[in-house]
Amino acid sequence: MSDLGRPISDDDLHAYVDRLLDAERIPVIERHLRDHPAAAEKVAAYTMQRSLLRAALEDIADEPVPRRLDPYVIQHDLRSRRLWWRAAAAVLLAFGIGAGGGWSLHERMTPPSTITLLAEEAFANHAVFTADRRRPTELGAEQREDLARWVSNRMNHPVTPPDLSVAGYKYIGGRLAATPRGPAGMFMYQNEAGVRLTIFTRPVDDPTSQPLSVLAAGSLEGCAWTDKGMGYTVVAPLPAADVERLAAGVRLGLAG
Amino acid sequence: MRPTAPQVKRIEDCIPALRRYALALVRDRDRADDLVHDCLVLAIGKQHTRREDTDLRAWMFTILHNVFVSQRRRQNIRPDAAYLDDTAAHAVGHRANQEDRLLWRDMLRALEQLPEEQRIVVLLVSVEDLSYAETAAVVGVPIGTVMSRLARGREKLRQLTGSEARPALRRVK
Repeated sequence: MSDLGRPISDDDLHAYVDRLLDAERIPVIERHLRDHPAAAEKVAAYTMQRSLLRAALEDIADEPVPRRLDPYVIQHDLRSRRLWWRAAAAVLLAFGIGAGGGWSLHERMTPPSTITLLAEEAFANHAVFTADRRRPTELGAEQREDLARWVSNRMNHPVTPPDLSVAGYKYIGGRLAATPRGPAGMFMYQNEAGVRLTIFTRPVDDPTSQPLSVLAAGSLEGCAWTDKGMGYTVVAPLPAADVERLAAGVRLGLAG
Repeated sequence: MRPTAPQVKRIEDCIPALRRYALALVRDRDRADDLVHDCLVLAIGKQHTRREDTDLRAWMFTILHNVFVSQRRRQNIRPDAAYLDDTAAHAVGHRANQEDRLLWRDMLRALEQLPEEQRIVVLLVSVEDLSYAETAAVVGVPIGTVMSRLARGREKLRQLTGSEARPALRRVK
C-alpha cells in the first residue's frame, strides 16, 4: 500500500482534500491515488465540492457588514448596559433553559439535594451579611485580590469575584463563609438603588454540571447551579426572572 | 475587564466568515444576522474568559454554534426559498457566469438536503477552514464523529450532484 507507515484511510483522503495532511504524507497519498482510480474519483469529487461551496458562499463574506453587527457598536452598547440583558438571555438559551412560558423551575422540578443545600447556605449567608449595613464584608472592594486568594486557598479551588458592573452591580467586598460542608466564599455586590446581591460558592461532591435552579425564600430569590465540582448560588431580593438573568451572566463569566 | 481595541478588531475580522457560515446554516439572512449578533454580544461580553491559547476564530464559531443550537431547539428553522437564488445568483451576479451560478446553486441545494449535523461539519471544514480538531471542539463531539459526518456528508453531496461526472472547476477568483 505505502512505504511510509500506516495504511491509507478515508480520513487521509479527506485530509488531502482539505490540505490538512503532513507534508511528508502528501506524496504517499498521491501515489495511492494514481494506483486507485476509485479513491482518485472520490478525491476529485470532494475537491470540487469544496471549491464549489467556497465559490458559492464566498461573496457573502465580501458584503458590507450591517451596522448592528459592528463590534464597536456592540461593545459600546454592552458598556452602557443596553445589551446586557440580551446577552444574559442568550446565555440562558445557550444553557438550554428558559425560552417562553416564564420561569418556574422550582414549581415543576425538585432541585437536586446538592443544589438545595447549597442554596440554603447561600440564603442564610445572604440574609445575615447583607443586612449588616456597617460591616457586610470582611474584605472590601479594594482587597479583591486578597479575598480571592484567601477564599481560593481555603476551598482549594481558584475563585474570583466576577465583574458585574455591566449589569449595574458594583463589587463591594466578600468574605469566607462557613457551612456544614466546609468553607465557602461569598461575594457581595450593590447596585445604585442599594440592592445587594451575593454570589455564594463552595466545592460540591457532584462533579457533573447542574443547570440553573430557581429557589425562593421569603423575599429573596436565588439561582443555584454546579459546574465541574463547584457550586454557585446567586441571591438577591429581586424578581426571579432578574435573578436568573444575573445568574446566567455570572455563570457565563465563571464558566469561561 | 473589557476587550481592548485590538481584541475587538480581531473579533471584527471574524464577522464576514461568521455571517457566511450562519447564512449557509439557517438560510435566512435576517435570522443569520441575528445569530451573528448574539454571538458577537456573547463574545465581546465574554472575551476576558477566553483562554489565550485558544484560537479566536474557532472560539467564535463555538459561540455561534451554541447560540444556534439553543435557538434551534426552540424553533424549527426552515429554509427560505429565496436563499438559494439569492445566495447563488444575486449576491455574486457580477462576478460569475451563468454556468458557474447553476453549479453553485445545485451545490447549495444538495448541501441543504444533508442532515444538519453533516452540513455543519462540511461547512466548517470545507468553507471555514477549521481543522478537524477545531470542528470537533466547535460542535462538541469527538474527532471520529467529525470524520464520519464529513465522510457521509461528502458522499451524499457526491450522489446528489453527480459531481464525479463534472469537469474540474476553473478558479473563479
